[in-house]
Amino acid sequence: MNIKEYISSGVVESYVLGLLTAQERFEFEQYCEAYPELKAARNAFELAIEKQAMENAVKAPTGVKEKVFSAMQQKPASNTSKMFSMEPTTRRSPGLRWMAAASLILFVVAGYFAYTFYNQTKELKNANLELEARVNKTDSVLNKMLEEQRIMMDPNIAVVNLVGTTPAKATANIYWDSTSADVYLVVKNMPQLPSDKQYQLWSIINGPGGQLQPNSLGLFDLGDNKKVILKMSNVKKADAFAITIENRGNTGGPNLEQLQSMGKTRLQ
Amino acid sequence: MEVSLNRDTFFVYLLTSLEPKTTYSEQELVALLNQQDNDAFNYLYDHYSGALFTIVNQIVPDKDTASDVLQEVFVNIWKKIDSYDAAKGRLFTWMLNIARNAAIDKVRSKGYRDNQRNQPMAESESSGMGMSTNPMINDVGLKKVLTTLNEEYRKLIDLSYFQGFTHEEIAKMMGIPLGTVKTRIRSAISQLRTLIR
Repeated sequence: MNIKEYISSGVVESYVLGLLTAQERFEFEQYCEAYPELKAARNAFELAIEKQAMENAVKAPTGVKEKVFSAMQQKPASNTSKMFSMEPTTRRSPGLRWMAAASLILFVVAGYFAYTFYNQTKELKNANLELEARVNKTDSVLNKMLEEQRIMMDPNIAVVNLVGTTPAKATANIYWDSTSADVYLVVKNMPQLPSDKQYQLWSIINGPGGQLQPNSLGLFDLGDNKKVILKMSNVKKADAFAITIENRGNTGGPNLEQLQSMGKTRLQ
Repeated sequence: MEVSLNRDTFFVYLLTSLEPKTTYSEQELVALLNQQDNDAFNYLYDHYSGALFTIVNQIVPDKDTASDVLQEVFVNIWKKIDSYDAAKGRLFTWMLNIARNAAIDKVRSKGYRDNQRNQPMAESESSGMGMSTNPMINDVGLKKVLTTLNEEYRKLIDLSYFQGFTHEEIAKMMGIPLGTVKTRIRSAISQLRTLIR
């Protein structure tokens, strides 16, 4: 670098008068360390400016000094406050700093709320799923009960009591819908059977000449689920209902020796 | 070096505690100001307030407002003295720049501009492209030196130094390239050296 050219470029005066950009100022200060003649030029111009200013000084207005000294006593010197240097004016309002701080705080608070809301939403979702499962379960139980209720209350449904015919006293009720021919079996008291046996429900018609005509309405197990109501096959006409014990999957006629319970319909 | 400086400072302090001093070297003054010495500050005010008021008043023509700025400048000098770095320039240069920055900030503040708009004074035309101040009052010091420059140079120095516009802003205002603004301001300002001496 040609230091003479640099000195005569006007950079010295610009530096002293505070007209350089931050970068130019930094460069100038670096060069001042390296080139004593640059520092000397700077000092010379500073002295010239100072001399000029002192010669042209007017008296400061009265009263300012008192105000300055009372302000000094109100606000003790603070070492942490903003630095002043030979920079061109940077017009950054003090409001900006507050706004920066405020926006940071806002950001943190918003983050906290977002996190809290996220967790709350997750919890609510789980609670919702749980509730939904419970409602579904309750609904299915309720529907079953309503169905039972409907059957019991229906005026078209005839109730037939099947009375135990053995010491086991197997008893059950038949709910028989005379219009739709639906048959529901309600088990009241029937002993469990070995696994190769099943109960079978029959409808029985008194044929001409005292001939009994049995008709299977289906095999059933009591099962562990304690089903209250079993829907059996439909039948239009029956003089009586009977339950027998048969081999599992029986396709033949009733084994009347194993008749467990029986009841006559009132329709005959 | 450092020991002797401290000892000097101590003796100066001892002397000033007996009787306010009438003159200080710049080094002594800075050392005492850093200790928040009231007498040293008193001296600083008496010695420099006139020169600093001149520069403030050149930028802020209204005398009452300029007085407020001067007060602010000295309070800031008192508060920020620890950030003054003698390696980077003389104390007066540092104070001059504080004064200039404070004055430009004041002129650019919204309150000041609104006030100027409401007062139909001759000076109110000054904001903008023309010379910022009333030549009758303020053609002293640096401003007086400026009058010897040619019109264009004077305008450039006025905009950049007395009105605090950046080179970019001046380039936009005057419709000339940024590079040209930079070179012209440099050459205008380098003439100051010969003129001031």
